[in-house]
Amino acid sequence: MSDALQLLLWPLLACIAIAGIHAYLGFHVVERGVIFVDLALAQVAALGATIGFLFGLDLHDPSSRYLSMGAVAAGALVLSLLKSEKRRIPQEAFIGIVYAVSAAAAILIVDRTPEGAEHIKFMFVGNLLATSPQEVAGLSGLYAVIGALHFIFRKPFFAISRGEVSGMSGAQVARWDFLFYLTFGFVVTQSVAVAGVLLVFSYLIVPSVIGMLLADRAPARLAVGWITGVLVSVAGMLASYQFDLPTGATVVTTFGVALAVALLWRGVRRG
Amino acid sequence: MLTNSRWKRALAAGLLAAAAAFGPIGSDPASILFRLGPGDAEAAKPLSVITTTQDLASIAADVGGDRVRVESLTKGYQDPHFVDAKPSYLLKLRKADLFVEVGRDLEIGWVPGLLQSAGNPKIQPGGRAFVDASNGVQVLELPTSVSRAEGDVHPLGNPHYWLDPANGLVIAANIRDALMRVAPNEGAYFTQRYTAFESRLRAKLGEWKKEAASIGLAGSQVVTYHRSWPYLAKAFDFQVLNYVEPKPGVPPAPRHIQELTAEMKARKVRLLIVEPYFDPKLPAQVARNAGSTLVILPPSVGADPEATDYFKLFDVQLGLIRSALATGAGS
Repeated sequence: MSDALQLLLWPLLACIAIAGIHAYLGFHVVERGVIFVDLALAQVAALGATIGFLFGLDLHDPSSRYLSMGAVAAGALVLSLLKSEKRRIPQEAFIGIVYAVSAAAAILIVDRTPEGAEHIKFMFVGNLLATSPQEVAGLSGLYAVIGALHFIFRKPFFAISRGEVSGMSGAQVARWDFLFYLTFGFVVTQSVAVAGVLLVFSYLIVPSVIGMLLADRAPARLAVGWITGVLVSVAGMLASYQFDLPTGATVVTTFGVALAVALLWRGVRRG
Repeated sequence: MLTNSRWKRALAAGLLAAAAAFGPIGSDPASILFRLGPGDAEAAKPLSVITTTQDLASIAADVGGDRVRVESLTKGYQDPHFVDAKPSYLLKLRKADLFVEVGRDLEIGWVPGLLQSAGNPKIQPGGRAFVDASNGVQVLELPTSVSRAEGDVHPLGNPHYWLDPANGLVIAANIRDALMRVAPNEGAYFTQRYTAFESRLRAKLGEWKKEAASIGLAGSQVVTYHRSWPYLAKAFDFQVLNYVEPKPGVPPAPRHIQELTAEMKARKVRLLIVEPYFDPKLPAQVARNAGSTLVILPPSVGADPEATDYFKLFDVQLGLIRSALATGAGS
């Protein structure tokens, strides 16, 4: 095995793991029309960790992790309860508000701490190249557990995402939504810590959009999304290595190229 | 499960493609030569010294002379807190014979992970070829209590210590010692290079101090944007009175700006020093209202096209301050 492959092996495996779960979750997110929910929940998680600063906890302190998970749970609860207003107000509006208010609240809290916002920024940057085997193992474990949970409860999750809620009471829908946003929030905060906000957003949205462009039925769309995610990961890593570009930004741009190719392909097929 | 086998096939194909593309690099004879260790290769090849910043690179090049090939991972105009790593960083670290970092948590956001991934045991923290250049530096703004709850979240002190030329000597000595560890039979050469660097820097330091006094910097009170300059203040004997943005990333409150402007007026502060990676709009407004002059100083080698090495960095800084104070006095 060559030097360079060894260097890029773990980042690539991390990307493939991220592609696996995010292409699937992205499918739900796009169907539900809650495109920016990952940014909102990542910001809520950062707010949780920031509250930790207030008690003198380090970002890497385990208790600070529990605080961010608790904050994500609270955010998930808010998002699932606010859905009942959907007929009146689009949910994307609430997501935007959650994002803006938690970002601003974090700044206010940081103002009360001596160090400043640099530590919050670390939470969103990610350092894909520095991914360790342990991180890949941790990510894969979490993704496997949450993937299994979603596979077991696929019927209600898919039904709600498609808006087929006729057989369910409002409370039932809210409970499933809470579980969805909770698992989603855990996945996204872990991925953002490794890969950064931009990359995670791309893995979430672009594969499922390409899947919707090129296929009609859900399983085929998922398959297209997964294949896209893996191909873009490999191509982006190779380009980053070949032209010596920052890795995360290169993969995100490669997603843009992949989407352009998919649009072109669809245009050609339609004649 | 059709999708599952497809997924596996795609994964395998991707890894194969990556292996094929990266194959030729592994057979590069130079990379094998480097792995023989410095004892075998040093006569033929200069030691590869990788630093995190250009300041360290400049000093390492002075001490190492023609026995080293120095490269900095970041450019001086980049904020060393936040660096978007490229694959070449890992390759350079993997082949490095010596790694030098600023330390004091300055690079904590990106260096530890890269070192771990680079797979070069020599340059791991504590390793023979790992240099924390801040060893032995008299660090400023060290917290007085260890408890973080009381507000000391920068436990290792202010990391901008290279801005005191006296600390340049400590950095150079740390690099000399590490080079002697890595290439023991070149010890005399590195010692002699260090001594030359030391006498040159001491002579320049005397000149700079004289200049700081003659342009009116020494003994004066200044305001800075952020806390990057306590070491420069110590070296050239001026006092940092206050900051425009006391906490990084938190936009200053209106009342702070109001009080700061009043304080600057009352104390007749003539100089407001700003780091180049901040938006100068707000400090420019403060300087205008307070009747002082804004000067954007390069904090590192490479942050200004003229500041090409560690010596020129201070030449450039003092030159900028001189002209700022001259225009301020003229208006």
